[in-house]
Amino acid sequence: MNPVTATLALFSRDLRAVIRSRSQLYSSIFTPLLFLVFLGNGVSKGLSPSKLPAGDFTAYLVAGVVVMTSVFSSTFSSASYYRDRDSGLLRMLLSSPHSAGVLLLGKSLAGVLIGSIQALIVLAIASPFVDFRWQYGIIPGILTAIAAVVLLNVILGGLAQAFASRIQTMQGFHLVMNLALFPLLFFSGAFFPVENLPVWLEVLAHVNPLSYAVDALELAAYAENSSAFFGIGLDFLVLIAVAVVIYAVGFTRLPKLTWSGK
Amino acid sequence: MTSPKPPVIEARDIVRSYGERRGLDGFTLSVPAGSVFGLLGPNGSGKSTFVTMVAAMEPPPSGSLLVFGQAPTTSLRRRTGTVFQENAQDPLMTVEETLALSGKLFGLSRARIRERGSELLAAFGLSERAHDTTAMLSGGMRRRLEMARALLHDPDLLLLDEPTTGVDPDERKAFWQALLERERGSRTVLLATNDLTEADNVCDQVAFIRDGRVVTAGSPADLKRGLKRESLHVTWPDATEAQISELAAWPEAGALSRDGDVLRITVDDASAFVPRLFAVAHGGIRSVSIETASLEDAYFLHVGQREPRPVIGVSS
Repeated sequence: MNPVTATLALFSRDLRAVIRSRSQLYSSIFTPLLFLVFLGNGVSKGLSPSKLPAGDFTAYLVAGVVVMTSVFSSTFSSASYYRDRDSGLLRMLLSSPHSAGVLLLGKSLAGVLIGSIQALIVLAIASPFVDFRWQYGIIPGILTAIAAVVLLNVILGGLAQAFASRIQTMQGFHLVMNLALFPLLFFSGAFFPVENLPVWLEVLAHVNPLSYAVDALELAAYAENSSAFFGIGLDFLVLIAVAVVIYAVGFTRLPKLTWSGK
Repeated sequence: MTSPKPPVIEARDIVRSYGERRGLDGFTLSVPAGSVFGLLGPNGSGKSTFVTMVAAMEPPPSGSLLVFGQAPTTSLRRRTGTVFQENAQDPLMTVEETLALSGKLFGLSRARIRERGSELLAAFGLSERAHDTTAMLSGGMRRRLEMARALLHDPDLLLLDEPTTGVDPDERKAFWQALLERERGSRTVLLATNDLTEADNVCDQVAFIRDGRVVTAGSPADLKRGLKRESLHVTWPDATEAQISELAAWPEAGALSRDGDVLRITVDDASAFVPRLFAVAHGGIRSVSIETASLEDAYFLHVGQREPRPVIGVSS
C-alpha cells in the first residue's frame, strides 16, 4: 500500500479531470489574457510605473496576470474537492487504506502542476508584449521564472486545499477564496506598483507572499535589479518559508476532511 | 477438534450521538466469519452509521468495536471493500479508469488490476461498457460497478450499504447472482438494508435494528420460528386498541403487529380466521391479503410499526 503510488494515482486522475473539463482549462488561460489585452492597453496611457523603463502598463501587467492565472487555477483545482464529494468519489477515496494527508497531497500535487503549466502558458503567450531582458541569462532566467511559478502554486494550492477541507459548501469556498485572495492579488504589485502606496498598504504588500512571486517573476524575466525590488534571494526565501508553513499547518489539521460534508 | 472461528465484527455498547439524537444507542452485535449478515432496520435506525465505523471511516465515540480482532484503523481498510448507499464514482471517469484508480489506491499492480478487473466486469455484465464514462451507465450498472470496485482488491469483509437501492428487479437478481454464486462462504458480507425480502433470500444471519439498538438477531429461520404458517395483512384504518387486544387474545392468532393502517397477523388457518375477523370489525376492514409468513412478519413482530402513529378519536 504505497502512499507514493496512491498520490500519483490521484494526481493523474485530477490532471485527467481538468483536461476533460475543457471550459475550465480554456477559461483559466484566456481570462488573464483578456485582462492583459484590455486592461493593459486601456490604462497604459494613464500610468507610468517606475519599475519599467518604458512605462508600458501592458508589459507591467504580465507578471500580475501570471500570478492571477495561478490564483484562478488553484481555486478551480481545490473546488474539485466539492465535485468529488458530490459525485461520491470522495467516499471511495476515504474508504481506501490511506490517510487523508496522502489523499490531499495527491490532489495538491495535481493542482500545483496544472496551475504552473497554465501560468507558464500565459507567460509564453504574453511574451510578445514584453521586452525580455533575462538579466541572469536566458536559461537561468527561465528556470527562475518556473521555480517562482511552481512555488507560488504550491502556496496557493496549499491554502486553497486547507480552505476546501474545512468549508462545507462550494459557494462558501469561493466566497472565502475571493475574500482571501483578491486583497493578496491587489496588494502584490500585480496590477499597480506598491512603493507609493500609503504606509499601511505598503506594509500589507510586504507581508503578502504574492508580492514576492511578482517580484521574482519581474526580476527573472524583464526587469533589472534596483532598490524598487525585494531581490531574488529574499523572494525565494519568503516563498519557500510560506510554502513550508502552509503545508505543515494544513496537513497537521486534516481530520476535517469528510465525505458527507457534515 | 477445530475451535470455532472468532467473529469478524464484534461491537459492544457503541453510542454515537448527533446532537440530541442518538444514531447508535448501546449497539451490540457479533458477526460470524464467512456469513452473509443482514442489518435490517428502518431508515435512520443506525445501519449506515455502523457500516461507516466498521469501514474505519469514523471511530466509535464510546463502547468498543473490533474488526478482525482489532480496532478499525486506516490500514485495516485494505481488508474491507465497501459499497456505499450512494454511488462513489466520478462521472468523467470511465468504468475501466474507476477500477484502475481503486486498484492503485489498494496497492494492486497494473497486471493484477487488468486481470481481476476484466474478471469482475465480465461477472457483473459490464465488459462491453469498460470504456464508457460512468455517467453513461444505467442506475443498475452503476451499482454493479460499485460491487466490482469493492471486490477488486479481494477483501475479506464486504460491507454493503443498501447496495440495490433504485435497482430494478432484473438488475437486482443479476447483482445477487453475480455476488453470491461466486462469493458465498469465501468472505464475510455485512448487508445493511431495509428490503426484508432481499435479506430473507440472501442472508444466513440477520439482526433487527431500531433506534440505534439491535432488537434481536439470529438466522432468518430462527426468527421466523414461532410464527404461524400464514400471514394476514389486514387494512383496517379504524381498528381500536380494544379490538386489537381482543384479536391478540385469540389462541389462533400468532404474532400481531400494526404498521399504520395495516395489521399483520400470523395464523395457521386463514380460511377459519378471516370470517371471525370480519365479525369483530363490524365492516371497518378495507382489504385482507393472505401470504406465507416471512421474515417481514418476524421483523414487524420484533421491530413494530415503521413510524409511531398517534391514535386519534379512540375511546377506551
